[in-house]
Parts: sequence; C-alpha cells; structure tokens
Amino acid sequence: MMVRLAWLAVAGMLWIAPAMAQTTFTPREESPEEFSAGAGRDETFYACTACHGFRLVAQQGMTRAQWEDSINLMIRRHNMPPLDDKDREKILTYLETAYPPRAPAGRGGWVNPFAK
Amino acid sequence: MAREIGGDTAEGNKFETSRRRFLGSSGLAAIGAVIGGALPLSRNGIGIPQAHAQAAPAAAPAPAKGPQLLKFPGKNEGLVVLGEKPLVAETPESLLDDDTTPIEKFYIRNNGQIPEEAKDPDAWKITIDGEVNNKIEITLGELKSKYKAVTRRMVLECGGNGRAGFSPPARGNQWTNGGAGCAEWTGVPLADLLKKAGLKPSAKYTAHYAADLHLSGDAGKPTISRGVRIEKAMDPNTLIVWAMNGKPLPNIHGGPVRLIVPGWAGSASQKWLTRITIRDKEHDGPGMTEFSYRTAIKPMVPGGKADPANFRILESMPVRSIITNPANGAKFAAGTKELKLRGASWAGDLTVKQVDVSTDFGASWQRATLEKPKNRYDWQRWTATLKLPTDGYFEIWARATDSKGAMQPHQAGFWNPQGYGGNAMHRIAVLVG
Repeated sequence: MMVRLAWLAVAGMLWIAPAMAQTTFTPREESPEEFSAGAGRDETFYACTACHGFRLVAQQGMTRAQWEDSINLMIRRHNMPPLDDKDREKILTYLETAYPPRAPAGRGGWVNPFAK
Repeated sequence: MAREIGGDTAEGNKFETSRRRFLGSSGLAAIGAVIGGALPLSRNGIGIPQAHAQAAPAAAPAPAKGPQLLKFPGKNEGLVVLGEKPLVAETPESLLDDDTTPIEKFYIRNNGQIPEEAKDPDAWKITIDGEVNNKIEITLGELKSKYKAVTRRMVLECGGNGRAGFSPPARGNQWTNGGAGCAEWTGVPLADLLKKAGLKPSAKYTAHYAADLHLSGDAGKPTISRGVRIEKAMDPNTLIVWAMNGKPLPNIHGGPVRLIVPGWAGSASQKWLTRITIRDKEHDGPGMTEFSYRTAIKPMVPGGKADPANFRILESMPVRSIITNPANGAKFAAGTKELKLRGASWAGDLTVKQVDVSTDFGASWQRATLEKPKNRYDWQRWTATLKLPTDGYFEIWARATDSKGAMQPHQAGFWNPQGYGGNAMHRIAVLVG
C-alpha cells in the first residue's frame, strides 16, 4: 500500500501513473507556448498532437510544399481528419513560417561544442 | 492477446481516443473555441478522467535547452530523446564505446504506442501463414523448446540513421548516428520455421505484424508492417529473437519476441511480433510504399517534388563508422601530443574493409586498426593513435570503406524526402590546452 501511494505521488509529477513502471512511458505534456510563436500555432498544435508529440513537427524544417506533402500523408495514411481550406491555409502558413528549412546548409545537425 | 492495456494507461488511451474523435468530428473552428475556453483539458481537468485531474501539474514545464535526455527505467540517461510520442531516443556516439552495446544504452525507436509488458511471455503466439503449405501457430514457449536457438552479435540500425545530415532537412526523426547498436541476439532462424511451414513456389515476400497500437488508437490499423524479399527471410542470420545480451528481450525493445533482420533498415525487424504472412508479391503495408524506407532511383533535386515511381526500397544499410572515444567536445591538457581513438564501423549486408581518420579536414588520412567481425553482421571495432602537432582546436573525422569499395561521403547525398541512406562521415571536435 505504501509503495502504491509512493507511486501515486511520483505519478502526480508525471501526470499519469504508470501501470507498469518498468516498461510504460508517459510523454511529458507539451503546450503550444513551448513552440515558435506565430499565427495559427494553437490550431497547428492541436491538429498534430491528437496523435503524436509536437516535437516531431518542431524537429523538421521544410518548405510549404513539403509541409503540405506531410499533411497529405498524415491524412492519407495515418487517420488525420481532413482539413478545410481555411484551416489548411492557417496551418501551412504557420508551419512554413515557424519551421522553414534550416540554414546553414550542409552542417548535418552537427553543432560545434565550442561555439559561443 | 498479449497486449492488455490496463489501469491508468488505458485511461490515457481513452482520453487520447476521445480527444481525437472530438477533433475529427468538429474541425479546427471548434478547436479554436475550445482553446479560448476549456483547453488544455489536461491542465484543468474538465472532461477528463479524474485520475488525470488529480495528477495534472500546475503548468507544463518549460522547454529544455539543449538535447533532452531520456528518463526511462533501465535506460541510460545519456540517451537523447528525439520524440516522446512516439518515444524515440538515440545513443550519442560516445555511449557506443562497448564492444557489445548494453541494453541500457541501446537506442529506442517506436512507431506507435508502447504495449503493456506481456504477463506470460511463453504464451505469446506467433503465426506464420500465407504462401505456405502448413500454417504455423506457435507459442514463444514452444519456439524455445522445439527449435535450436542461436546467439549472434549483430547490428540493429534504424533506416533513418544519419538523416540529420541531409540538407535541406528530410522528413522524420533527425537521427545523427545514434540510431544503431550491436547486441547479442538469441533466437531461432526464421528460415527454420519457414522450412517447417513449407514455402509454396509463389512465396516472394514477407509481411510482418505486431501488437503495438497505432498512435491514432485505431486498433484495425497496423502501426507499421514491413517485410523483406524471401531470400532475406531465408538468410540464416534473420532471426526471431527473445533474448538480448543474454537477458529476456525487454518490452521497450519489442519483447517478448521480435524479428532481427540484420543489415537492413531496423523497421524490418518487427518488434512485438505476432504474425508473418508470406506473400506472392512485394508487401504493401504501412512503411512499404511511396517514400517510406525508399531512396530515389534517378537522383532528385534536394527538397524537390518527388515522384513515387522513381523510388525503390532501401534494403542493405550503407557503410558507417563512428568515433566512440573521445567524445565530441572533449578537452585535453596543454601539451597533449597523442590521442588514442576508439570506434565502430559496419556496412549493412557487407563488411568494412578499412577505416581512415583525419585531423586536417580530410587533407590527409591515417589508416585505423580494424578488427574482424565476431560473426556476420557484427560491427567491427577499430582503434587509432593520432599525433597532434600543436595544442589547439582539432576536428577528427572518421571514414569507413565497405568491402565493395564504397566510402562514406563528406555529406549526406542523394537527397530523398524521408532521408534514407545518409552516411556522412562522423566528426568530433576536441580542444587541446
């Protein structure tokens, strides 16, 4: 009983009590405010996080055309509800503004550990 | 079957499912209204299970600066989280310094929800059906007792390893080199089961299915279902495994039972394996078509519009080497004239012929001492001793060459929308003095 209570206390911080602590994982809850500000951020956040973490989105850096391909892929292959034109416009505009292709080119995600 | 979702996790799933349904049925206009009102639901508890309301934090924690490090029972806290939903974490190169990658340091790749741990692993059922003379239904317990087990040390590598090297960025988790590890896998060659089942002459391709639920919560939708040509399935190194480094295969790595299809994209090595259906044609499950695990036949303009007809399945992974010691960012005392390097290299279906290292951005190269693999598909460890002319800033580059003579390039090339085949040389920076 004490163990269970202790788990609940820990789980309180983790938001959900893991039923089997060894193997389950509770994603940290994200909020729109953590991500690049801009018009359409909340709509984009909630459309994407119905299934997956927004971090998966924020990892990317793509052109509008590539973002559109991604959304089409999510609708076609991963059960994302279709977007009407107005929502699609809003979301694409946010994504292309907040997460464009990253510069400089060719650095390969490699970051100089001594750079200031 | 073995995936019994219970307790609070089930609450979480219910919540996700209902939220999704809500989103699906009402569209974004409604979401906007909700944002102004009750959302985020999980913070004020309206409309969600009581357990969540009680456990809800006052506010979401601030985003961490720098890499987010993994907090997961039994896993090393040096692993870098690429995503939490689904959970994906890579191993920094310097943590791949062991000859055999310990379980705690092995990378994590999920595509869907993580199943509950099987309560009775030996009762886990695997079915082999399709283009076979006799369908097989076997429990893990029977598999262990009726077939001869083998143990092999083999590399498992995510198909997207090296994706972060692409410019412009390619879609997907931005792996550097850490979507790889080399563990001792114990299991039974898939070929032994396929021989027992009897392949029909029409058998061309496998289709793998598993117990992990799609992120959308749709139980009828496979999270991912890939397969391989029947020749690869019959390779004696393609195994159905239940142990990793001599321990029962952990749930997070696909336990109690998974496939290991060495040398090919890790997604072929289905976790939480429940069924292999033999098909008479190339498999077309989620993860097989369009740009998934495929590279361009005719090289395309980076970032350009891709044509699915120009794509073929990525099979063998490309040659790669990593410096596992020292770590990127290591500092050495002034006057240090010699550095001892350790590393690992591997090359999908091939072996590594040589590894070279450079401290002058590739102007000159020095051959490393390369070990032989323990068995096929093992990685090859290497060492080198570098002389440094002065104190100062140095970059160390490592370049492997495979048994057919292909070398790692300076940059990830042959851009494709989902970023496969990126095997740019690993580089670290060190500071002396």
